[in-house]
Amino acid sequence: MIGGLFIYNHKGEVLISRVYRDDIGRNAVDAFRVNVIHARQQVRSPVTNIARTSFFHVKRSNIWLAAVTKQNVNAAMVFEFLYKMCDVMTAYFGKISEENIKNNFVLIYELLDEILDFGYPQNSETGALKTFITQQGIKGQVSKTKEQSQITSQVTGQIGWRREGIKYRRNELFLDVLESVNLLMSPQGQVLSAHVSGRVVMKSYLSGMPECKFGMNDKIVIDKQGKGGASDDAGKSGKQSIAIDDCTFHQCVRLSKFDSERSISFIPPDGEYELMRYRTTKDIILPFRVIPLVREVGRTKLEVKVVIKSNFKPSLLAQKIEVRIPTPLNTSGVQVICMKGKAKYKASENAIVWKIKRMAGMKESQISAEIELLPTNDKKKWARPPISMNFEVPFAPSGLKVRYLKVFESKLNYSDHDVIKWVRYIGRSGIYETRC
Amino acid sequence: MPYLGGEETVRELRRALSNPNVQSDQLRYRNTILKVIRAMSQGVDMSGLFSEMVKACATVDVVQKKLVYVFLCSYAALNPELSLLVINTLRKDCQDPNPMVRSLALRNMTNLRLPSLVEYVEQPLAAGLRDRAACVRRVAVLGWAKLHNLQASSEIDAAVVNELYSLLRDPDPVVMVNCLRALEEILKDEGGVAINKPITHHLLNRLKECDIWGQCQVLRVLQRYRPQSEDELFDILSLLDASLVSPHPPIMAATLSLFLSLCSGQPAVSLAALERVRGPLLAACGSGSREMRFTALCHIQLLLRSIPGLMGAHYKRFFCGYAEPAYIKQRKMQVLVELVNDENVAMLLDELKGYCTDVNAETAQAAITAIGRIGRSYSDRCLEILTGLLGLKQDHITSAVVQTMRDLVWVCPQCSDTVCFALEGCEETLQDSQGRQALLWLLGVYGERVSSAPYTLEVFIDGVRSEASLGVKMELLTATMRLFLCRPAETQDMLGRLLHYCIEEETDMCVRDQALLYYRLLHCGIEETRKVLQGRRSDPSLGVLIGRPAEPVSQWARSFNTLEPLRQGSIETESVSRGSPEHTMFDPKPNADLSNTLDCSRIEKVHSGKEDFVWMEECVRCPTIPRCSPQSLQAAMQLVNIQTLAFTPPQTLPWRVYLYTHTCLDDAPHSTLILGELLYTGEEPQKAEVHKDDKALKGFLSILTTVLHTLSSERA
Repeated sequence: MIGGLFIYNHKGEVLISRVYRDDIGRNAVDAFRVNVIHARQQVRSPVTNIARTSFFHVKRSNIWLAAVTKQNVNAAMVFEFLYKMCDVMTAYFGKISEENIKNNFVLIYELLDEILDFGYPQNSETGALKTFITQQGIKGQVSKTKEQSQITSQVTGQIGWRREGIKYRRNELFLDVLESVNLLMSPQGQVLSAHVSGRVVMKSYLSGMPECKFGMNDKIVIDKQGKGGASDDAGKSGKQSIAIDDCTFHQCVRLSKFDSERSISFIPPDGEYELMRYRTTKDIILPFRVIPLVREVGRTKLEVKVVIKSNFKPSLLAQKIEVRIPTPLNTSGVQVICMKGKAKYKASENAIVWKIKRMAGMKESQISAEIELLPTNDKKKWARPPISMNFEVPFAPSGLKVRYLKVFESKLNYSDHDVIKWVRYIGRSGIYETRC
Repeated sequence: MPYLGGEETVRELRRALSNPNVQSDQLRYRNTILKVIRAMSQGVDMSGLFSEMVKACATVDVVQKKLVYVFLCSYAALNPELSLLVINTLRKDCQDPNPMVRSLALRNMTNLRLPSLVEYVEQPLAAGLRDRAACVRRVAVLGWAKLHNLQASSEIDAAVVNELYSLLRDPDPVVMVNCLRALEEILKDEGGVAINKPITHHLLNRLKECDIWGQCQVLRVLQRYRPQSEDELFDILSLLDASLVSPHPPIMAATLSLFLSLCSGQPAVSLAALERVRGPLLAACGSGSREMRFTALCHIQLLLRSIPGLMGAHYKRFFCGYAEPAYIKQRKMQVLVELVNDENVAMLLDELKGYCTDVNAETAQAAITAIGRIGRSYSDRCLEILTGLLGLKQDHITSAVVQTMRDLVWVCPQCSDTVCFALEGCEETLQDSQGRQALLWLLGVYGERVSSAPYTLEVFIDGVRSEASLGVKMELLTATMRLFLCRPAETQDMLGRLLHYCIEEETDMCVRDQALLYYRLLHCGIEETRKVLQGRRSDPSLGVLIGRPAEPVSQWARSFNTLEPLRQGSIETESVSRGSPEHTMFDPKPNADLSNTLDCSRIEKVHSGKEDFVWMEECVRCPTIPRCSPQSLQAAMQLVNIQTLAFTPPQTLPWRVYLYTHTCLDDAPHSTLILGELLYTGEEPQKAEVHKDDKALKGFLSILTTVLHTLSSERA
């Protein structure tokens, strides 16, 4: 259980403090500030022990969130809770920043009151919380207490994440497959590690209590269907199926059904939410290859040549491409030549930043740079940080495809065909690094 | 708002709060209250405004109510009399038709934490348990726990406890879980909730309805349950199988923890469960959030203690990313060391080599230490890397390398040639005391093979006046003495100078005493000196246990999924990276790193500083002991908390085993370290101990004798 929650800004000033249990004294707030935030060295561990009290902290931009406890608690759970807390706050007022926290002061106190009682997590679903919270992000408009019947039905009912009696004129569904590709590649072009972590985010504007069914090209499902159905079909789709390493669902998904049939069926919450999160490590389409070539010419000169190759259908366009080539600390001057895009040496960041707005598939582009170095007596060898890359591509690098999304609502008379559905794939770079 | 000038703010706010104009304008009133709370959370003492805030409490505006309650709950303890005024409003709210208002009032009533108010709170709480709205029941249930916490000594009302037990069957899952939590707290002295068969089955059946937090709580409570039959056990296990591979790390960990406690009698089942969580654990290691990654890594380290091969094939998952924080990198390296095998060693070392030049000095040192650890099994490759690193001429790297080499040489004496060769010239780059100490130790022990040793020492001796570190001075004394024994002609003069300085001018008692001791020793003759100083460089007949033997799961099962694994590691990181024998030597952890506990200079001191240590010898007749397997002996010793350091292979003569243990007597302020040697020379096994507390030593001897007798009777 959690004894207290504190939120600090980057200077260590307390923005929010809430103590849930007596065993946490008033000085705990300061203890964390002095020992962790103001400590000179780097953070040594996300869990800090000060005078028999454990402080778990998470940092979001420059805000510190710390949970305090005196008991020997389940560490994974406390962290999970802090993440959840961040999610809830983000859902209410967007990015977690000092400004936003100060503006939504009351809201946060209200949230803290509902989410935790006596240090035990109670209700952490944004949708369900909405009925208890009087404040509404930033503007703080006061909505008078909602109808009582709603609250009772919600807290006693089985479905904690959806109110009853929702109505829309147009029934719409937006489905985004957002993926981030992570890559670590050796200078020789060997993939050291690669994984995709993806999220399926939905925005649903559906009336009543609809039941949804979601299908994708998951290997296990396809194989299962292939066995029962025509062999021809299995052969075709088998190639395109993907192996998902692990996945997490929103609480609305019936896990028992997923375990037995691998079918994802659920009653969706209203508005925006994350339906599932998954990870794949096999057969990833790496949208870009980076080929670095670094040559040290004498002690005062470096020659760098970097080639990037796009590796997807020529009809698709990648956007917001940015390659970051680190330079040594003692760089005095840089000359860059690139065929495409713009490249600039940023001394403050110790890197050459090369930006390309758009690039089609199966293309190649290169940059070459001459770096002049100041001679130093510092014998420290340059650590050669990896070349990192950012981009956005309009497909899912894991190969995930949405096969169907069906909506059934038995009580109200609209059917699957009446719902307008939008599906979009976005692949972004996570930590996409190539060593040089 | 400034931190200081709090009084000014308080005065201003009081004026605003008591201004009738403000009070009539709801928005302005609320804004003023908001300011109060903002100042409060910034640390300004606002308790002076208590009475004004109590007045603000009587309002129909729910937002204002909530705000005032936040204030009241923080300062109620300072104003118990005034708080009585609030109770009335709160009790009235408990009758409100709106369930939200009811739950709010009930919660804050219990949050006031005033023992004097208990009598007023009990009645609404009891009514709250029977409320038709689940959100009120949730609050009421926990309210009883808070009440109990407030006056822990008071008697527990049996009727309430019974009601709470019956609420375990409440249709709302959160109420059910809250009941568990409340009962756990209220019945703490009796060992928590009674977990019998019907309750267990009920909880298990409803597990799916709960949210993550609820599931974790239920799984934790269930750890106390002992299934009555094997069938029941397996029913439970198969029911929980789905949550064992749950994608939520907390649930996965809680389930595994429950598995381990349920199957404590069946090691095979627990091992199967560990195999099964490999996937989810690896996934957690790659999760997007670094804290979760860190937690998962710490737990993987625990698992590896029992199944070293668990993650062997997935070693690439533990390669560090460039931008990862140092604490994750260091943990990953610790895991990598455990995973090394013939196939991946080249790849692993290549990777670790990359980390040695990390910007963060601590990470670089950890990487070098990791290479040293691998060097115990693959010494040639590792030494090549380590020597290469010396070429970089950076002080923190050189220091770490020299320390690592010292540790390595102690375990693998065959490396000494390469090390001696590499030492030349690195004294120029060494800056910190730890590194210089390691260098001095190496020069002392292998002085005859390092041609420049006397010159290096001479530089040190010339600079001894400006030397700040105590450790370096003591190490310097020992090293010079040792070098004198093997190269007297070159060293005699400088030894004289050093001893003269240390005895005549040095102010530190430790150094002076040690110098005096050596001086008197030299008076006793060169043979005596040699006997004391030429301690072991390492024992070639000693087959040191490389890599820890697999521990039984039960050793760590209790600490799984708690804070302990996260803490444990940090102690280890510190001691490993610093490599200071003083600390690890007396570390009460039974799994302390072997190389660090075995530092030659320590052992030698045991011989020289006689006043601190007791030495005993005793003969026992258990001739079958040398023939029993090392594993069984080790297991037997671990039962009585004696750790084995090293064995000679079975069937060799003389056969020896080195042991150690710690005693922590209640009355003694310090723990005592006992080192022991079991020796079998052919006729009868003997044992000898070195140690400083007479009483504890006798206790140790009697325990050891009993163990040996039991073992030998089993064999016979």
